[in-house]
Amino acid sequence: MRNLRALWFRLSGMRSGRTETEFSAELESHLQMHIEDGVRAGLSRDEARRQALIKLGGMEQTKIAHRERRGLPWLEKTWQDICFGLRMLLKNPGFTVVAILTLALGIGANTAIFSVVKAVLLAPLPYKDSSRIVAVWTANPARGGQPLPSTAADFAVWKEKSGVFEDLAPSYDDERTLTGQGAPRLLIGYAVSANYLRILGVGPQIGRLYTDQEDRPGGPKVVLLSDHLWRTTFDSDRNVVGRPITLDGSPYIVLGVMPRGFNYPASVEIWTPAAMAPAAFDDFNHTYVRILGRLKPGVTLVAAQKRVNALEAQVAVVHPDTDSGNRVVLVPLREQLDGDIRRPLLILMGAAGLVLLIACANTAGLALARDAERQREIAVRLALGATRLRLLRQFMTESVLLAAMGGAAGILFALAGTHSLLALFPNDVANLNIPKVTAIPVDQGVLCFALFITLLTALLFGIAPVLKAARTEASGVTKESARGTVTTRRANRSRNVMVVSEIVLSLILLTAAGLVVTSLQHVLNADLGFQPNGVLALQIFLPPDRYPRDDQQKRRAFVAEVVRKMDALPEVKEAAATNYLPLSGFWGTTSFLLRGQAQPKPGEATEADNRAITPGYLRTMGVRLLSGREFTAADRLGGAQVAMINQTMAKQYFKGRDPIGEEINLSAADKPDWWQIVGVTGDVKAFGQDQPAHADIYRPLDQQPSPIIAFTLRTETDPAVMVKVAEETVWSVDPDLAVFQAIPMASLAAQSLALRRASSVLISGFAVLALVLACIGIYGVTAYGVTQRTQEIGLRIALGAQRAHVLRMVLGLSFRLTLVGLVIGMAGALASTRLLTSLLFEVTAMNPGIFLAAAALLMLVAILASYLPARRATLVDPMQALRTD
Amino acid sequence: MGDKADVWQGTLALMVLTTLETMGPLHGYGIARRIEQTSGNLLSLNYGTLYPALLKLEQEGAITSEWGVSDTNRKAKFYKLTRAGRRQLERETQDWEQTTAILARFLSPAEEA
Repeated sequence: MRNLRALWFRLSGMRSGRTETEFSAELESHLQMHIEDGVRAGLSRDEARRQALIKLGGMEQTKIAHRERRGLPWLEKTWQDICFGLRMLLKNPGFTVVAILTLALGIGANTAIFSVVKAVLLAPLPYKDSSRIVAVWTANPARGGQPLPSTAADFAVWKEKSGVFEDLAPSYDDERTLTGQGAPRLLIGYAVSANYLRILGVGPQIGRLYTDQEDRPGGPKVVLLSDHLWRTTFDSDRNVVGRPITLDGSPYIVLGVMPRGFNYPASVEIWTPAAMAPAAFDDFNHTYVRILGRLKPGVTLVAAQKRVNALEAQVAVVHPDTDSGNRVVLVPLREQLDGDIRRPLLILMGAAGLVLLIACANTAGLALARDAERQREIAVRLALGATRLRLLRQFMTESVLLAAMGGAAGILFALAGTHSLLALFPNDVANLNIPKVTAIPVDQGVLCFALFITLLTALLFGIAPVLKAARTEASGVTKESARGTVTTRRANRSRNVMVVSEIVLSLILLTAAGLVVTSLQHVLNADLGFQPNGVLALQIFLPPDRYPRDDQQKRRAFVAEVVRKMDALPEVKEAAATNYLPLSGFWGTTSFLLRGQAQPKPGEATEADNRAITPGYLRTMGVRLLSGREFTAADRLGGAQVAMINQTMAKQYFKGRDPIGEEINLSAADKPDWWQIVGVTGDVKAFGQDQPAHADIYRPLDQQPSPIIAFTLRTETDPAVMVKVAEETVWSVDPDLAVFQAIPMASLAAQSLALRRASSVLISGFAVLALVLACIGIYGVTAYGVTQRTQEIGLRIALGAQRAHVLRMVLGLSFRLTLVGLVIGMAGALASTRLLTSLLFEVTAMNPGIFLAAAALLMLVAILASYLPARRATLVDPMQALRTD
Repeated sequence: MGDKADVWQGTLALMVLTTLETMGPLHGYGIARRIEQTSGNLLSLNYGTLYPALLKLEQEGAITSEWGVSDTNRKAKFYKLTRAGRRQLERETQDWEQTTAILARFLSPAEEA
């Protein structure tokens, strides 16, 4: 407290002139009293005064000591520096505006991207000790090698014998239809064991979790609601706890509501007990168990991964037909949640960082050019006794001032820009795993980051001018400035370094942008294999209680009736149905054998995507038929079993032979289930334009009914306005059926590219920014160089140099600098574009065309930027030039 | 001059406070003289150093000042102890006594080692 009070007085004492005169009066009275005492003691007045002054220790010294205690000298000096700095900046408005804008763009870009990184990658997870939580998946090359659910038996082995998990919990997809609360809704649900929620360490906001006793086969029917579902569907009614709700036609008691922000797995609305029977854990066949585990303290991810895989290798020896080739993948919870957004975000952060570096180099270059004009000022101040430290402080203060103004403007840019970054997080994207992000706050952390990079920037671009000022010799410059003709080599060198580094960084950004944009172009041009425009899709999951597995007829009848009714709608050209909608994120596979093919070794079975369609499907979706025939109404239950395959499959397995008429066995060699191929279709990019097509086997939906149904309607009108009519058609057949998603295929296709599109736009934005900054930087430095050499150039012209020669001389320097920058930049780009691989499509990271184009563009920009100053150099009037200064 | 001790850093404030407590409101010159007298002229005080110390105490709220008239009818600035100043004096006196007591133990031969 005492210190605070004193600080306040000192702060307020800084500017008061009153106390100064007051103290003079006090000292004066002190002196007089002392003199009077002296006189009384018998001294002469002069001697008394002399002694009093000696005793005081000097009038001025005392005043200085008092003044220093009164205010805060360092603060006063800083204030002087700031005032002086501001005056210097105002004196050079052109430089100041360009520098502030440059820094603002650099800092703004970084702050905006960082706000996303913080909101997504750095936000603390609301789970207990989340660094030890892992999702456990099984990857098998025979099934494409991506991480997929595991079998319950594998789960049981890992849990019992691996010894690396403190706890391991099973869960599985459990979609349910909610009725009795307005229109029926399909809820994404997870059946999770009781310890699953304990691993996450999250309690409900109201109510309670279910216990291990309740999580058993035949246990009570209970459910936990998500905060989102509770708010939207149950109007945040606290009394919902303890009451039953209807899921798939049965009553489930609501046990509790999970807290807001709890969304693991993402977008789940209800959690129900997994209730797995002991017998289920002997099943090595069905891969449906999604596993969550908590590592024991001190066990690293790598060690756990090694241990579980060693264990799985042993399991594979005993169960080769199901487990051989399995690799167990442990994914940290954080990565699991970040999904596919992590890499693009980090790449964008890197790109923004490069822009900031360019901005720093740019400002440093400009500041060096400007400061060269201040050499005389510095020399004079040194000569007058200013300490070097004081000068360094002055220069640093100016840098910090510039950076601070740039930073403030940058934060404003970031505030304006973060909203548009939401484009990185499309809502309905199904083929990518992207966290749901609805807001990107610019909060304290982000502001701290902005402050940090602002200071860093000040240091980066401020250090060069400061070092240069530190080297200035008082005598040297005053002498030099007497005639001001020759610029030292050293002065030029540091400016040249700035130009070269700008070229290097810009080239890296430009090639990166070139690669990413070319990839996007390739993706956009890539054929989806169907015509998404004018098609509306409705996804439906038939609930097992009313459409049981053993009642295929009911599923068949439902699909046929809905298709018939939709076909009859006046706005609909043609309606059809399939099991797995392309781009929906849902798919399933089937293994197959060609005639004469022996039963393959376990884990080496040939597989294809399993697609079931109604006769009109190829036409409504606009999938090409390459040869043979489509399915007709006659291809139904009881008829011959027929199939179509896609081009990829034909190429892969019927090399050169005509597959039409061939038969494929969709079961085992010893109990064959033969299907005759009647047609070959074009490839459909079911997983996104940038993903390869799989081998597909199409079968008539009537011969292979499925509980997962997607209706596809080719409409006369905008498909978006047809949603209501289409949904009502479904409900006219089954009023209790939920429509999971009704969406135009064109939107689905666009959203699947949203992330790629947004990152391309951002990276190219950064590249353009880099180009503009480099252009300004080169212009500034060249222009300054010309100004400084005015006399030399004038002399050359006076001595007979041709104007063209002068032009070549100035351009030549820029050309050489650019060339050096390009060579170094090429190496940098080669080293760094490899990091982009995940964003590339049908372009190699070392595409020579893009590298050359980027280099050529930069060279062109550099020449253009130095042409103006170069031309000015040719117009130098020798008489004028020799007379300057 | 040579055998007079210089004022230790930090002790000057304590001397000022004690002086003001015993003497009541007093001006800078008076305080300086009083300190010298009290020390039995063992202390050599540069009067000028007194003023920053007074300012510091005032900034910390231990003393206040106002203009008044001296015994010799001269206009002078008088310093006065505040209540916070009295508390500070009490505290610092205690601290000081403790410090000197501890030091005394070190300097006198130990009896109970």
